[in-house]
Amino acid sequence: MIVWLKRNMFRSVGDSIISVVVAALAGWVVWQLLQFVFITGRWEIIQVNLKLLLVGRFPEELMWMLGTSILALSFWIGAVASSSKRDPDKKTSLIKTGFGLLSRFGLIIALGAIIIALAGTLDAVLLGIGTVAAIALGRLVGLARRRIAVLAKIPWLIWQILLVALPLVMIVQTLLVSDLSEWGGFLINVYIAILSIALAFPLGVFLALGRRSSLPIVRLVCTSYIELVRGAPLFVLLLLAGVALEFFIPSEIAPGAIFRAVTVFTMFTAAYLAEIIRGGLQSISKGQTEAGKALGLSTVKIIFLITLPQALRNVIPAQIGQFISLFKDTTLAGAALSMLELLKIGEAITKQDDYLGQGLVYESLGFVALLFWVGSYVMSRESQRLERKLGVGIR
Amino acid sequence: MKKPMMALAAVAASALFLSGCAATDTTEEATTAATQSTSTSTDTAASVSLLESVQAAGVVRCGTRDALPGFAVLDDSGEHVGFDSDFCKAIAAAVLGDATAVEMVDLETADRFTALQNGSIDVLVRNTTWTATRDGSEAATFLQPNFYDGQGMMVAANSGYSSVSQMKGAIICVSKGTTTEGNAALESSRLGLNWEVRSFDDTDLILEAFIAGQCDGWSSDVSQLTGFRSAYPEGAAALAILPEVFSKEPLAPAVLDGDTAWAQAVNWAILATIQAEEFGITSANVDQIASSTQDVSILRFLGQEIESSDGSAVLDPSLGLPTDFAYQVVKQVGNYGEIFARHLAPLGLERGVNALWTDGGILYAPPYR
Repeated sequence: MIVWLKRNMFRSVGDSIISVVVAALAGWVVWQLLQFVFITGRWEIIQVNLKLLLVGRFPEELMWMLGTSILALSFWIGAVASSSKRDPDKKTSLIKTGFGLLSRFGLIIALGAIIIALAGTLDAVLLGIGTVAAIALGRLVGLARRRIAVLAKIPWLIWQILLVALPLVMIVQTLLVSDLSEWGGFLINVYIAILSIALAFPLGVFLALGRRSSLPIVRLVCTSYIELVRGAPLFVLLLLAGVALEFFIPSEIAPGAIFRAVTVFTMFTAAYLAEIIRGGLQSISKGQTEAGKALGLSTVKIIFLITLPQALRNVIPAQIGQFISLFKDTTLAGAALSMLELLKIGEAITKQDDYLGQGLVYESLGFVALLFWVGSYVMSRESQRLERKLGVGIR
Repeated sequence: MKKPMMALAAVAASALFLSGCAATDTTEEATTAATQSTSTSTDTAASVSLLESVQAAGVVRCGTRDALPGFAVLDDSGEHVGFDSDFCKAIAAAVLGDATAVEMVDLETADRFTALQNGSIDVLVRNTTWTATRDGSEAATFLQPNFYDGQGMMVAANSGYSSVSQMKGAIICVSKGTTTEGNAALESSRLGLNWEVRSFDDTDLILEAFIAGQCDGWSSDVSQLTGFRSAYPEGAAALAILPEVFSKEPLAPAVLDGDTAWAQAVNWAILATIQAEEFGITSANVDQIASSTQDVSILRFLGQEIESSDGSAVLDPSLGLPTDFAYQVVKQVGNYGEIFARHLAPLGLERGVNALWTDGGILYAPPYR
């Protein structure tokens, strides 16, 4: 340790000075941060407004549906994660598995613990325990499928549909029962982001293929769409969707703000994604397409079986980067479409009578930043896992 | 293995999306059905008033904001509370008889008139200054101001400034995109003070800059300054608001031009709060006064039956409002003084010019007869 320190940090006088200065600076920053988090920070503003920040005006009496949806989703994630795992016979020590789990999910667990501690209600604790239990149950079901012969005979697709049915029904039910305009807070950021990602991905793939199509009209349409949408600032598109739409159609039949936000984010992200995927497609050597043709495969088969899977795999980092940026851009919807999303609420709560003019903007914006950071970081980590699994960058 | 999962994800996503649409459809169904008669008729006859369509829809869409101390803020359950929010509720109480039948639409400063013009709100009660240009070119009709404000200057108490004219070459911090910004520049050139005006996006940022000593003065509407002064971390005594008020800011509700019936209805909802205070009617004693008073003008105002030689009658001034609208406003929301005491007095604001004309202010409601 001392040798390592000497070799790496204090090799010369100049190195030593830099090391000491930087270490002192870093220590000071960390000290200030810790002091803010544990001593000077007045976190009751977050505590009081926790529900508002997380779910906005979501009706209190329907919260159980939201909780059940989370449980169902956790169950599904647990089941899917375990059923796609390879070599069930490979033995790993319990400590190693535990450490792996902790490094992968530790951040989410920590955030969950913080939120539960802030909420301080029995319901929140029960939901936290329930979520862990649901994931465990999901894993058990996934394991059972591999181990028990009767279950293993069920075809993969039917198995997946069975598993996804529960969370899907729960979420659709929540959507149908609650008034979507009452959704708010972080819930709305996550909802818009997930929906837009799911819709933008296929659209982006088709735009990318269309831009490389040999049919001139398809190529022209796709190219002009991509260039037009990429040429406009996202905020301008959101403002147009929010304000200008009602000049053309009566306000009674105009779609709600969430619908508009999802439409704009999908359109915008798809255009960027199309260019990313096109880059991936161009990285596949022409020889592969020619080989496919020589085997007598149709063009569609060549694209979907040979070039596209490789292209998508090659551009995972860029795609995830685009999705992360979309996730954070959902805060723009607050300013452009007057939606009560997380950032807007974070700014609004510092104006409440009890907290007005006390400089609590650090606490509220800090909490907002924490939620977004955890979300983005988890996305980035999972994409790295996916890359490693698919062997991106390794030939 | 990969493909079906993707297909599944796509199916799930589209199902989610469709259900999302379905959800908005079903919830909007009620209002759409309710406004059907008007939405079809607005196309054929532009003369149908918002008053009728609002009464048919059963909800007033009120343009407001979510972060203006005292006037409209979100409470911890996400409801709008404040001075302006109460006037939105008063309008709903007058027009629909139900103060809760109001949908608060948060608007950015830049969008507020657009929202009025494109019909996504019925009335704008958003701390908006009534100016000739806005009256003329923004297609807005301004009504009885609910608050008379003015721009002032706040300085640190130990700065030595006791008048705006002493602040030569000072750094003045203001909020971006408001009339405040222009007024400060105007005042600087009028008095030849050569101010450096710094604009900030958010009042919290001004506060931080002010505490850090980056601003010599903080200029904004006096109502705002008072609010921030009373909540100042080092105590209100550390700050002083200079005596000069260098602009007139009558904050008034606005409706779209060309709809007199709706404008009058909204106007009388505001006026009712003022008249009620003049009569001394509060939300607490309105029932008792209605049943016991002999004063004909009060009975008339509250929509009570008035006995006369040719039988009893209720005054209906044909405003298109229920005859007991003033009673509903006072009962459910309160009179002007109550609303002021609830939201603005805690900030440390005095009634000042916003007192009744009988108390030396300029609030004056036309007679209800």
